[in-house]
Formats: sequence, C-alpha cells, structure tokens
Amino acid sequence: MKILEEMYEQEKNESELSKIKKEMPFGVPDKYFDDFSARLHHRLEAEKQNLPQPKNQIIRFLKPALGLTASFALIFMLVYWPIKSFLPDYLAKMNAAEFIEPESDEHEFLTAVEMLDENSFFALLDESTIEHGISESKFNDAELLNYLSSNVTDYEIYLQTEN
Amino acid sequence: METDDRNLITELKQDNTRDLAFHRLVKLYQERLYWHIRKILLSHEDTDDVLQNTFVKVWKSIGNFREESSLYTWLYRIATNEAITFLNSKKRRSLLPLNDVSDYLMENLASDPYFEGDALQMKLQQAVLQLPEKQRLVFNMKYFEEMKYEDMSKILDTSVGALKASYHHATKKVEEYIKNND
Repeated sequence: MKILEEMYEQEKNESELSKIKKEMPFGVPDKYFDDFSARLHHRLEAEKQNLPQPKNQIIRFLKPALGLTASFALIFMLVYWPIKSFLPDYLAKMNAAEFIEPESDEHEFLTAVEMLDENSFFALLDESTIEHGISESKFNDAELLNYLSSNVTDYEIYLQTEN
Repeated sequence: METDDRNLITELKQDNTRDLAFHRLVKLYQERLYWHIRKILLSHEDTDDVLQNTFVKVWKSIGNFREESSLYTWLYRIATNEAITFLNSKKRRSLLPLNDVSDYLMENLASDPYFEGDALQMKLQQAVLQLPEKQRLVFNMKYFEEMKYEDMSKILDTSVGALKASYHHATKKVEEYIKNND
C-alpha cells in the first residue's frame, strides 16, 4: 500500500517535473553527424591495420615447437660440448663400451656346446677345421705321435681305442 | 525483429556486403546512440570517443551476434557498457571511490560549451547527477528517452519490477533536490 501511495505522490511530483522542458539541453558541433561516419571509417581502417597478420599467426603456432628445439640445442651446448672439449677420455670410454660384445653371446655358445653329445661335437670340430682350411693331410705320422705322447697319456689312448 | 534489421544483420555478416551495410547501420543509429551516451557522460568529447568505441566494437563482434535480441537492444547494450567502462576508467585514473564520478560529471556539465538549456534545466541535470549510477541510467532512459521498461530490462539486464522501483526512487530524489535548491 505504501508504495502505491508513494507512486501517487510521484505522479503529483512528476507534474512539477514536467514544468521543466523535457528535451536534452545539449548541442553538438556543426555537421558533427555528417562527418562522424567518415571519421569512424578512418578509425576502423587504423584498427584493421592493427589486427594480427596471418604470418604472425603462423609464428605464434610454431613458437612452442621452436622454443622446445632451442631448449634442446641449449642443453646440448651446455652439457655435451663441454664434456667433449674438457673430458675427451670419458667420452672415448663410453664409445668403446658400446663396441664390446655382450657376455650373453659367449654364454649362449657354451650352453649350446654342453647340449651336444660327443660324436656331434667331434663332427662339428672336424667341420670347423675343414672350414678353416686345415686338412688332415697336413699332419704326418711323426707329428701326430709326437703330439699324442706329449699331451695324452697311454691310458687315455687305450681307453679311446677300446671305445 | 524487424525485417529491415534482419536484412541489415545478414548483410553485415557477409564479407562482400559488410562495408556498405555497416555504413547504413552507422547512419541509422549514430544519433540515437550519441544521445544515449551523451546523457550518461554529458561531455561531447567523451561521448564522441565512446560512440566510436561502440561502433568499433559492433564491427568486430557482429559475427558473434546471435540475434537472440533485437539489433536495437544489442547496440544500446554495447553503448551503455562502453559508457560505463569509460566512467570506470576515469574513476581508476583519478582514484575516485567506485561509485562516485558525480564530481567529474559535474565539472563536465559546468564547462560544457554545448550546454544550451536554461537555469531550470541545469538544475535538473545537477539533480540527476546526485543519483547513484544505476538510478541515473534508469532515470535518463525513462524520463528523457521515454524507453519502455521491457526494452530497458533487456539492455540493463534487470527485471522490470526492479527498474520501476529504481525509477520511482530516482524521481523522488530529483524532485526533492529541485525543491530544496530553489
């Protein structure tokens, strides 16, 4: 109810307010609205020139990748190059270690030999001597007897002939 | 939305018709928006700056206009926001309290070479400057521009009820100021 009374009062007050001319009492410079469009056009042209160019956009997209590449190059320069210059022995050792055959190859070879039976072993041995160009004909009887007498006992020879 | 405005928006969104359509838009709305801004800022120079900013913003963001409101409402909303942003920047520069630019506006009014009113009109303007920012906006839009509450509601993003109450309080304060300063 109170707000209605106030609004009624306001209507009376507005009649007093209406005594004042309602139009805006401000003016504008001559031909202001005629020229405004042209001035705005100049402003827009300037704004368009300030817009980012496509070339800049490409650089903006590539910037992170370029930054990352530059970081790696910097790390390389700061770490690898000083080591190479001041500690050449250390790098040589590191490189040499890469060319040493891993122990696992030797281990595999020994395992394979253990799994062979005796006949297969001697056959393989014969093959390898042939492959290496060593033929039996190169040994004469005297050399063979000499080798056996110095490396093998009589008992071992006896055992081999029994088998 | 009116058909003319709809056509204008369509042309504004197409690259080949954009420049010409924008020129038409400026010619169509420049005076209405000028006076809307001038009532908020009072100074012609400030109004000219803000009117240009408004149209530059319209140019840049026309592609994002979703046509949920009328072109007229959208333009008034941009103009109002630009004017308030301008006043806020003045507050920041002169270290004024956040809701107090009345001194700055009073100076503008007193030194305005384009003020053409009589003493009573000057008093009315001074009375309006005593109002808080929101009430000042509502009073100007309702009293001088005779805008509908529904349109004001869309522009200021405020309910019609709140706007009516705001106008009611504003009118009361203006009346009191005029009576007390006779």
